[in-house]
Amino acid sequence: MTFQDLILKLSAFWASNGCLLQQPLDLEVGAGTSHPETLFRVLGPKPWSVAYVQPSRRPDDGRFGQNPNRLFKHHQFQVILKPSPDEVQRIYLDSLEACGINPRQHDIRFEEDNWESPTLGAWGIGWQVLLDGLEITQFTYFQQVGGMDLSPISCEITYGLERIAMFLQRVDNVFDLEWGGGVKYGEVRLQEEIEQSKYAFGQVDMPAEEFAAVHRDLFDRNYSFAEKLLKSGLILPALEHCLKCSHLFNILDSSGSIGVTERTAYILRVRQLSVQIARGHVAQTDPAAVPAPGPGAL
Amino acid sequence: MDRELLIEIGSEEIPAGWLPDLTTQLARNLDALLKEFRLEADAATEGYSTPRRLTARVAKLAERQEDLEELVTGPPVSAAFAKTGEPTPAAAGFAKKYAVEVSALERHETPKGIYLAYRVRQRGKATVDVLADVLGRLLRGMSFPKQMRWDAFLDDGKGDLVFARPIRWLVLMYGGRVVPFMIRRSELAEGSNVQEIRSGSQTYGHRFLTTSGRAGRAIKIKTFEDYQARLLENFVILDRSERESRIRRELETHARKLGGRVSSIVAAESSLLKEVPDLVEYPAVVAGHYSVEFLELPQEVLTTTMIHHQHFFPVVDEEGKLKPAFLTVVNMQPEKPEVIARNAERVLAARLRDARFFWDEDRKTPLASRIDRLSTILFHKKLGTYREKADRVAALARWIATEALGQPPAVADQAELAGRLAKADLGTDMVRELTELQGTMGGIYAREEGQPEAVWKAIYYHYLPVGVEADAAPSKQQLGSAAITWTAVALADKLDSIAGMFAAGERPTGSRDPLGLRRQAQGVVKILADLPELAGLSMPVRVGPMLARAGEAFPAAAGTTVDRGPLLSFMSDRLVYLLEQRGYDVRSVRAVVHSGIEQVSPLEARMKLEALAHMSGSEALLGVAALLKRVKNITKGVTSTPAEWAGVQGRIVEPAERALWDQMNARAAGIRDAAAKGDYREAFAGIAALQPAVAKFFDDVLVMAEDEGLRQARLALVAALRDLIMDIADLSEIVTES
Repeated sequence: MTFQDLILKLSAFWASNGCLLQQPLDLEVGAGTSHPETLFRVLGPKPWSVAYVQPSRRPDDGRFGQNPNRLFKHHQFQVILKPSPDEVQRIYLDSLEACGINPRQHDIRFEEDNWESPTLGAWGIGWQVLLDGLEITQFTYFQQVGGMDLSPISCEITYGLERIAMFLQRVDNVFDLEWGGGVKYGEVRLQEEIEQSKYAFGQVDMPAEEFAAVHRDLFDRNYSFAEKLLKSGLILPALEHCLKCSHLFNILDSSGSIGVTERTAYILRVRQLSVQIARGHVAQTDPAAVPAPGPGAL
Repeated sequence: MDRELLIEIGSEEIPAGWLPDLTTQLARNLDALLKEFRLEADAATEGYSTPRRLTARVAKLAERQEDLEELVTGPPVSAAFAKTGEPTPAAAGFAKKYAVEVSALERHETPKGIYLAYRVRQRGKATVDVLADVLGRLLRGMSFPKQMRWDAFLDDGKGDLVFARPIRWLVLMYGGRVVPFMIRRSELAEGSNVQEIRSGSQTYGHRFLTTSGRAGRAIKIKTFEDYQARLLENFVILDRSERESRIRRELETHARKLGGRVSSIVAAESSLLKEVPDLVEYPAVVAGHYSVEFLELPQEVLTTTMIHHQHFFPVVDEEGKLKPAFLTVVNMQPEKPEVIARNAERVLAARLRDARFFWDEDRKTPLASRIDRLSTILFHKKLGTYREKADRVAALARWIATEALGQPPAVADQAELAGRLAKADLGTDMVRELTELQGTMGGIYAREEGQPEAVWKAIYYHYLPVGVEADAAPSKQQLGSAAITWTAVALADKLDSIAGMFAAGERPTGSRDPLGLRRQAQGVVKILADLPELAGLSMPVRVGPMLARAGEAFPAAAGTTVDRGPLLSFMSDRLVYLLEQRGYDVRSVRAVVHSGIEQVSPLEARMKLEALAHMSGSEALLGVAALLKRVKNITKGVTSTPAEWAGVQGRIVEPAERALWDQMNARAAGIRDAAAKGDYREAFAGIAALQPAVAKFFDDVLVMAEDEGLRQARLALVAALRDLIMDIADLSEIVTES
C-alpha cells in the first residue's frame, strides 16, 4: 500500500464512520492537536467528529534527511470523536484491518501513555498502540484543554502515517517508501528535509545572534498581534498567531538561540496566550461556561 | 444458604503497573464493605485481574444481612423524670426520636450511672437487595495513580465516576443470577454510541483470539468456575501467577533453543518480569535476532534499548555475554511467529542504528568540553543550571573526600574530577534518547577517554544506590578502585540536591516527592551506614556537617532560605526508615537515633542496633533500661559534670548508693572506651553489668531525700548514670510500655 493509498484508506474509513473530512491547518504546527478542528472543537458541549491529515513540524527532530526514521516534518492522520463512542477501540482496530493489518497475525497492544501539552494547558489519558513492538498510534481521551475540564470527553486518535506505511511496505528507510505511482517519499520530500533541517539548526548565512534576533522579533510581533486579535474578539486569527509563536519558539530552541531560564519563560508566555484563546473561544458561544481562572489556568 | 458472589469490572486496557495494587484494593475494599453491610462471607475475597478486567469473587456469601441490634443511650435516669414522676423534655424528646413511649425505654447501667436507652432492631435485608449499593461503593472507593473522567456517573448523587480507563461491561452475579446495577452516562455524551453500562452475566474473551465465531463476542457465564473456564477457552488466563509462570517457562524454553538464557540484568535492574504478566491476557514468547555488528555497542546500551524501550528480554550465553538475540512476550497465540519476530527485529534494528549513531557522534566530543554546554540544561529555576551544579558537586566531592573521609589530595583530585564530569552526559545524544542511562553513559564515555577506574566508575555509579537494603547495588567488588571516589561523588550529588531543593522550598510532602528526594536521602544514609562494606572505611561520618557544607552553596540571597530544622528531621526520618527496613525493632531504632541526625552517624546507629539485637535476651540490660526511664524523669534539668561527680563521694551514705558509685567508677571508663572504639556489644555489656547495683540503689535509697545536700548528691549520681547510658543510646526506649 502506497503512502497516499494509506491516506485514502483511512480517510474513507473514517468518513464512513461519521467523520467530516477536514484539510490540514495551513500553518506550521507540531501536531494535529493544534488544529482548531481539534483544539476548539473538543471544547464545549457540541458533538463533533472529524478526520484530517496534519503535516507536523518538529524542528528538533530534523536530521538533514540522513536518518532513516526521523524527520523535521512527518504526517499525522488525526481523528477526533466527540463524544468518544463506547466502541472506539474496536472501531480503531477495524481501521487497521481496513489498511491491511490483520490483528490475528500480529501483536497489537494498548500500553499506557498519557499526553500533556504544557503550552496548551492540555492533558489527556491514553495509550500508545504498539504493533509488533512498533508505536503506530497515540490514543488519547482529552481531559482538559486551556486549563478547562472537558465535557463530553473527546477521543483523539493520531496515526503516525510514515511509520505505518513503512510497516506495510516493509521498508527500513522512510525515504524509500513509495508515496504513490512509483514515486519515492525521498523524491517528494528529501530536499525539503535537508533545507528545513539546516534552517532549524541555524545553518543560515548570518551571524547566530542575528538569526536569534530575527526570530525573537518575529515571536514578539506575532505575540503582541495575537493579543490584539484576542482583544478584538477574533479568536481564530489569534490562535493562528499563537501557533506561529509556538513554531518560532521551537526554531529558537532547536537552533540553540535561547538559554534555559529564557526557554521556560517562552513556554509560559505561549501557555498564557493559548489558555486565553481557548477561554475566549468558549466565551464566544457560552460565556457562562468559562470557569474562573484557577491555579491550573495559567 | 450461602451463595457465590462474582464481580467483574470490564475495562479498556488498564496500565500494567497499576494492576497489582488495584487487584489488592478491590479484594480488600470488598471485604471491608461486606463487613460494613453485615454480609457474612466464609472466606476472604479473591481478587483477579487482566489488563481488561478486575474480578472479585466471594465463594460463599450469606443470603441475608445479619440483623442489626444496637443500644442507643439517652439521658441519665436522674435527669429523665421530674419530681412528679413525669418525663422531662429530655426523656420525652429521646423517646419521640424513636417513636416510642417513655415507658418503653430500657434502663441501661454504665459506670457513670443509669441511663435511658432504646434498643434499635433492624431486620437484615436480602443480599441481592444490597449488592448494588456494595458495588457502587466499591467503584467509588478505588483510587488510581491518575484518574480519568469518561462521562460516567452513578445514581448516588456524588457526580462523575472516575476510573482508570473507561468501563465497558460489568458482571454482578449472586448465586448465578444477575443483580441489577447501572453506570449512567452524562447527558452531553449519551446517545446511540454512548450508553449506560448495565450489569449482566456476560464477559468478554481475548480481543483477537477465538476457536470459533467472532473474536471478542460476549460469553455467557454462570459461576466463577464456569467463568474462569470459559475465559480460558476464549484465550484469557485469569490468574496472574499462571500467566507469569507460563511466561517464565516459555522464556526458558526459547532461550535454551537459542543456546543461552535470559540475561540476569532483567531481574536485577528492571521490573520487566513483574510487568509483563499484567500486559497480556494470553502470553506466548517469540524469539528474534539482531545483527552481530551491534554487539560492538556497550552492553548497557543494548540491554537498556531492549528492556526499557521495547520490553524485550536480552539473551546471554553461558558466560553471561550478550548473544545477538532477544525474546519478546506477545499477547497472542501467533499463527506465524516469524512475522511478528521479523517486525520486532526491524523495530529493534532501527533503535540500535540510532544508538550506534549516537555512540559514534558522542565520542567525537570529550566529556570535559561538554560541561560548558550544561549551562543550557536547567537543574532548578532557583538553583541554576547543571553547569552550576557540576561546580558545586565537584567542590563538595573534594571536601567530602578530604574532610569527611580523610583522604589524601590525590584521591580528592579524582573525586573532584568525577564530580565535575558526573552530569556531563546529560548533553549527549545517547542520554537524551535513553535517559535511563544517565550516569552510566558518562562513566562509559569517561572510560573510553582513558580516565582511570577511580574516576569513570565514580561517574558510572553515582546515581546509586536506589535501595536501602544492605546488598543494594553497587557492591565494593563492582566499584573496584573507585570505592572511595564513588562514595564522595555519590554523596555530594545527593546532598547538593537535597540541601538545594530544601533551600528552594521544594521539600517533599505526603505522597508528593516529584524530585525523588526521599530516595536520594536514603541513598545518603545507606552509603554512610554501609561505609565499611562499600568503601572499606570504618570512621563514623555524620550527616549534619556534610549537609551544612552542602547548604553553604545556597546563600539566602539567591532567593532561597535555609531552615535546618525540617531538613534535619527529614534526613532523620530517612535514617529511621532505612533501619526499620533492615528489620530492626522500632523501639531500638528510636533508642539509637534519639540524639538527632546531627549527632548520630548512620554507621554508629547501625552498629549499636546490631549490638542491641545481639543482647536482646539480656534481662540485665532491660532492667537498666526500665530504671533509666525513672532516672530520666527525676533528673530533668540536672546536669552531671566531673566536679559534681567528684563531690558526690563525700556526701553519700547508704551502702547501696556507695555500691553504685563504686560500680560506676569501676565501669564507666571501660564503657566509654568500648563505645569510642565502636565496640557496642562491650559497651552494652558494661551497662548491663551495672544492673544489680542500679536495682539495689532504687530498692534501698530514696533519691529525693529531705536533706538538700544528700538529695543533690544522689541526683548527681543518677544523672551521671543517665549521661553514661544516654551518650550511647536512650535505652529507656527499648522498654515495652506496660
